[in-house]
Amino acid sequence: MGWEERRGRPYYYRSVREGKRVRKEYVGGGALGRLAAQLDELERQQREEETAYWRENRKHFEQSAVFIGELEEATQILSQAILITAGFHKRRGEWRRLRESA
Amino acid sequence: MKALELSKNMKKRLAQLQALSDRVQDGDKAARRELRRAVRESSPEVVAEASELARKGQWALIKTAAAGEPLAEEALIARLDLMRAEVAGENPSALESLLTEKIVAVWILSEVLELLLTAQLAGGNDVQHVPHSFLKFYLGWQEQAHRRFSSAIRELAKVRRLQSGVPRSQTNVQINVSPYANSELRP
Repeated sequence: MGWEERRGRPYYYRSVREGKRVRKEYVGGGALGRLAAQLDELERQQREEETAYWRENRKHFEQSAVFIGELEEATQILSQAILITAGFHKRRGEWRRLRESA
Repeated sequence: MKALELSKNMKKRLAQLQALSDRVQDGDKAARRELRRAVRESSPEVVAEASELARKGQWALIKTAAAGEPLAEEALIARLDLMRAEVAGENPSALESLLTEKIVAVWILSEVLELLLTAQLAGGNDVQHVPHSFLKFYLGWQEQAHRRFSSAIRELAKVRRLQSGVPRSQTNVQINVSPYANSELRP
């Protein structure tokens, strides 16, 4: 996206994505070119702001959900320790009661 | 925003419990005595700190779900209290209380994700729309939250069954949880 000079005069071109390819699209020179350039710049700024907003939102969400992983770890370790002390042992992923108390 | 995490001291205690449990599982009889002592000494603190963390985390999620609406906040708090009482039942053990907090936490996480996604899919001008990559991110989280919810319920049921000492075939484990029933905030 930008200005290009043809025969000594600036003309505005816009980049258009088509699948994986990007092609240049002629817009025009003079007032029309300047207006299109301003609109494109506004759109770009808006996209950047939205992306920043959602990046922040995502970070906030991830941070507020961290405690669930911590809670899972704590409950898993504590349950395991309590069950072992209560006379159970884990065999092939299944908890079983020990036949004799150790 | 600071991430909600367990303290370093608590992580150290949990690591000790894990190491001792592993040693007992490997047949170390001396470790069993040590583990018993460690559980006796550590469990009240682990339960207290993890429960405190759970409450803080739930509160953060409630704030997100309610989006600044005091009435919605109150409704969610009441809903969580009710759910907590239903899941924990009468006279829950410390471990049952902790597992209950986990179930409640994952439920509120599911609810937040459900609200975020419903708002996105329903459209409307007052909602800032998420780019596709973020929508995919939230959908992934939602799927994970559903899995975690089922797994948390199974874990509580397993602990109750094992602690009751009744063989599996004779045990009816009932946990009164309906993740989406009667939710005041449900759109």
